[in-house]
Amino acid sequence: MRCIYPRSLQVFRRCGKKRLHFKRYRKKLVLHIPVIAVPKGNPGKIENLEDLAKKGVKVALGDPKACAIGKVAVKILKKAHLWNKVKKNVITFTPTVNQLLIYIATSQVDAAIIWEDLTTWAQAKGKIETIQIKPNIIKTIPTAVTTCAKNRKALKAALLFNDFISSNSALKVWEKWGFKPCK
Amino acid sequence: MQIEFKHYSIGLTLLITGVILIAIGSLFWIPKPEEILTSLKSKEMLYSLKLSVFTASIATLLVTFFAIPIGYAIARFSFKGKSLTKIIIDLPIAFPELVLGLSLLLLFGNSPLGKILNLIGIKIVFTKLGIIVAQFFTALPYAVRITCASFQGVSVRYEVVSRTLGYNELETFFFITLPMAKNGIIASIIITFARCIGAFGAVLILAGGSYMYTEILPITLYLNISYGNLGMAITSGIILILVSFVAITIFEICEKGNVY
Repeated sequence: MRCIYPRSLQVFRRCGKKRLHFKRYRKKLVLHIPVIAVPKGNPGKIENLEDLAKKGVKVALGDPKACAIGKVAVKILKKAHLWNKVKKNVITFTPTVNQLLIYIATSQVDAAIIWEDLTTWAQAKGKIETIQIKPNIIKTIPTAVTTCAKNRKALKAALLFNDFISSNSALKVWEKWGFKPCK
Repeated sequence: MQIEFKHYSIGLTLLITGVILIAIGSLFWIPKPEEILTSLKSKEMLYSLKLSVFTASIATLLVTFFAIPIGYAIARFSFKGKSLTKIIIDLPIAFPELVLGLSLLLLFGNSPLGKILNLIGIKIVFTKLGIIVAQFFTALPYAVRITCASFQGVSVRYEVVSRTLGYNELETFFFITLPMAKNGIIASIIITFARCIGAFGAVLILAGGSYMYTEILPITLYLNISYGNLGMAITSGIILILVSFVAITIFEICEKGNVY
């Protein structure tokens, strides 16, 4: 028996099908917010999503097949009817989101779409600026109790852990690392 | 006592060889043959394979072009700062490829040098040229080590005799030393090619690792692990192992032929 808090609900749904997951203990925990990240000083003069389509702007995105942020970024751009224009400006699709952070922090590209919480990482501090996306697609990170065996003692521990990671003191830690709590 | 130690060391050698063999073998064991075949024929794999051979060939040529004089200089001449030079050239062997990639990114990216290169139309970051540059710096130290060792294996006396018989310095190098170090040079070329084909970290950071653009075999492996496509990932792994196997076998043959 264990308690998990994955990035997506998919894992829970899979557990749900196998009846390993107690729906009544599910809570929405924090928000996972995509933002536009630009190097310090904003050399590409990016103000909003439309600016990513400007001629000559160098954009880096996550590979939509390899990482969640890539998939979400493409969705956001398609929803804003900008995908076909922005696609021409994308000079690299990276397999991981961490690479995007490196490329922004070292000014290799003008803009990238990354998770807001990544920007709190020490390496990015003072090296990047973020711009909120409108309209945005925001993911919520839930917590829930799942179980693999019917062991009462372990369930109790899982419930305690579930309570702990959604407690006020834990939410402060989440906030410290850039996650906004769900309201 | 001596026999006991002999048995002990041979036993240990066979044990570890067995473990490595089983580890590699399990890679061949997991996918179905038809899965490997379809992966091999896929557009992505063919692209990656072609790009790997193309970039690694050019990188190998460049590395060899530089490694021969560098190896010779280190083997034959003493100059100021030689020990330090040797240490710095060898450094990339010891530190992670990712660090090398990051250093190259900072050097060739949005830097004064990168801007000058950009002005004359040379783009290294996120391009195929970036793959070659990353492979070059990953493989160079190995090539320098091997060429240097093979030049050291050629006695200076041959060169001295050659000079007394009328060849100048350059002629001596091309007609005496180089042919005598031939096996070492071939070994160096083979290892360089294998190292270039297998270069990953530096290529990922400097060239980006974009699907069907800067995608070489190790990137295909990595991308397909992220895609959850195990068949493709393992197939690229198998190709990489075959390349290494052929390379190491040729290297061993060259080593045996190296009688000075």
